[in-house]
Amino acid sequence: MTQAAVAENPLAEGLRMRRPPEPFALSIFGASGDLTQRKLMPAIYSLALRGLLPDQFGIVGVSRTPMTTEEFRERMREAVVEHSRDEFREDVWDALAERMCYVAADFGVEGGEQPLIDCLDDLDENQGTAGNRVYYLAVPPKAFGPIVIALGQARTTGGWTRLIVEKPFGADMASARALNDLVHEHFEEKEIYRIDHYLGKETVQNMLVLRFANGIFEPIWNRQFIDHVQITVAESLGVEGRGDFYDETGAMRDVVQNHMLQLLALTAMEPPIDFEADAVRNEKVKVLRALHTPGPKHVVRGQYGPGFIEGEPVPGYREEAGVAPDSETETYIAAKLYVDNWRWADTPFYIRTGKRLPRRETTIAIQFKRAPHPPFEVDGEEGLRPNVLLIHIQPDEGVSLAVGAKVPGQGVSIRTVHMDFLYGGAFRVSLPEAYERLILDCLLGDATLFTRADEVEEQWALVDAMVAPWARDRPHFPNYAAGTWGPHAADELLHRDGRSWRRH
Amino acid sequence: MPVSSVRELERELTELRAASAEPGAPPRLRASVMTHIAWVPEEWVEAATGTLAGLAERHPSRTILLFPRPDDPRDVLEGEVDFRCFVREGQRREVCSEVVSLRLCGRRASAPASVVMPLLVSDLPVFLRWRGQLPFGAPELDQLVGVADRLVVDSREWPDVQGGLARLPELFDTIAVSDISWARTEPWRCGLADLWPDVADASVLRVAGPEPEALLLGSWLGARLGRDVRLEHEPAGEIELVEVDGRAVRPIRQEALTPSDLLSDQLEVFGRDRIYEEAVRSSS
Repeated sequence: MTQAAVAENPLAEGLRMRRPPEPFALSIFGASGDLTQRKLMPAIYSLALRGLLPDQFGIVGVSRTPMTTEEFRERMREAVVEHSRDEFREDVWDALAERMCYVAADFGVEGGEQPLIDCLDDLDENQGTAGNRVYYLAVPPKAFGPIVIALGQARTTGGWTRLIVEKPFGADMASARALNDLVHEHFEEKEIYRIDHYLGKETVQNMLVLRFANGIFEPIWNRQFIDHVQITVAESLGVEGRGDFYDETGAMRDVVQNHMLQLLALTAMEPPIDFEADAVRNEKVKVLRALHTPGPKHVVRGQYGPGFIEGEPVPGYREEAGVAPDSETETYIAAKLYVDNWRWADTPFYIRTGKRLPRRETTIAIQFKRAPHPPFEVDGEEGLRPNVLLIHIQPDEGVSLAVGAKVPGQGVSIRTVHMDFLYGGAFRVSLPEAYERLILDCLLGDATLFTRADEVEEQWALVDAMVAPWARDRPHFPNYAAGTWGPHAADELLHRDGRSWRRH
Repeated sequence: MPVSSVRELERELTELRAASAEPGAPPRLRASVMTHIAWVPEEWVEAATGTLAGLAERHPSRTILLFPRPDDPRDVLEGEVDFRCFVREGQRREVCSEVVSLRLCGRRASAPASVVMPLLVSDLPVFLRWRGQLPFGAPELDQLVGVADRLVVDSREWPDVQGGLARLPELFDTIAVSDISWARTEPWRCGLADLWPDVADASVLRVAGPEPEALLLGSWLGARLGRDVRLEHEPAGEIELVEVDGRAVRPIRQEALTPSDLLSDQLEVFGRDRIYEEAVRSSS
């Protein structure tokens, strides 16, 4: 509750309960797709289960697949049973399903949007959704155009409109800019919610709290005390039936352009003046603008060959379904980046991401400089490693700090030990799924955890510059075996600087 | 193993922690976000232990259950220490928190602070949950209020609600106070706030519900609006109806909360609740 609202309404002061959103009609484009079934519908169910949705709302599934509303509800029910983090409750589902309908529509043909518009008008009339519209575009980028134009032309006169756009937002700087231009013709920037689901994760948000709510970190969060930063987004999975999509995308566009650069920006940003959407995003954009374009020697790409994951043999990338047998798509990226500003000058940010790495792990490791003069004898110093603040984003969300401690006994022998804060240990509430948080934020009109147009363009500007040299060089793929930590060149990237990737 | 002194308790806690680590497994983590003291007279034992069952996982803490037995002819301390461990789904390590149960027999019941102080977890907030009517002026209350940061009560547990609310302001400058009954009124207060500005001139509030909730709602509305609001109260087990000048109030919807949930919510509040204090002061 804002100060102004309280001043106007004395009864509102001191109330802590979060209010449900205003009535709304949510249209999900790509309703027959994987994302809707695995993430969106389970998230909406969890919100309904917790009573976080208003009394009046409607959900419209939209796709080209012919299907009745009953079939759609049944499919969504199965999806919730299979993928929800919560127990399945028939009463909650029935109440939700009642407000659900399905529209088969092809926005590529003249007047293709009319069935949806009729359906939304019907919701306004019968469910009291008051002309408030949320459009969730869970469709490939090439399908955006006709949908955005049709929705823009069919805006309601009453109520608000919000457009949620899934990644990837464009395939390069030119297409992202063209997409922004197109969307801005019909929607204001404040109506556009570009999702990067990493920003919905509790631990990513905790990063801001860790940095800006604890007086001990910020004074040492700079080039004077930090030797370097390592950001790892590792997956043990392969392309999992998405070979067609992945072969056109690759690790750089699938992960680096969005998740990794967002994590880097949150790590390096200056304190925002408040936690309002634009204050946070202004600071992130400054970091993205300050990123120095790495030269070709500072970017390593890789592609996995056959190998083993958890003892099971797995095929190489080029043997995956939907992937060209001579594919040059990268499944691994490592890079050394610099943020050219006063705080971070000459402090490398090493990033790496890959598929078919030994385990699933997303971490940000802040490695501090060594103690300048440890006054211990030689054998004692051997165990003395630099302090590392490790932020675990997934799995095992939490923070740990590696410190040197004396091994009990004669003499001074030092061992590195971890002081752990396990998120689930201190706050044993079940962490909400990222999509729950993001969908709810959008319904409440809070864009803090969504990406702004200028952020996206800055991200693409860097990625375009990083991939430009690839047009000249043919890679020698595959160059790492599935189940290993990536190509040898990635290790070399750090060894050249006298450093190494964190041990796992 | 039963213990009879604070030193034994501390030793038992250390041994339990060491014994809880299994060979070859990653060490268990001890998590504490607070020290939670519960003052539990005999008639409240069952309710208190039931509430605790759902609490440890949400607020891992060192919980100190104090069971006063002032009529026991022995002047002794009897206690047990328990380690409650759990694994969160998808995580690999066990997290443990500690529960210390102490029976304060005879004269020990009138000096609880001296027992509790050595057991507080350093640098973390101390919450005191007092079961039943507050004995204003009694040494045990004064002492425990002196070591705690926040006092959590439930005025529904008070046989004399009006008398309790009348004296509660004596504590406001000493300790932050939470009342679970007050928390139960929040959905209705939200509903009343939603009626602003139509309720600016309200003169009658009708509440069907427990006495403390009705009193607090009435006094809160009057204090907030700066005018006299007449309360019409019909007793009921839960708040069933709130009407302002004949107009029904719709509460903000929320999940049904268990006693553990209600207490948990209060353990997340730190500062003084000036609006509650104002309502309590206006109720007398």
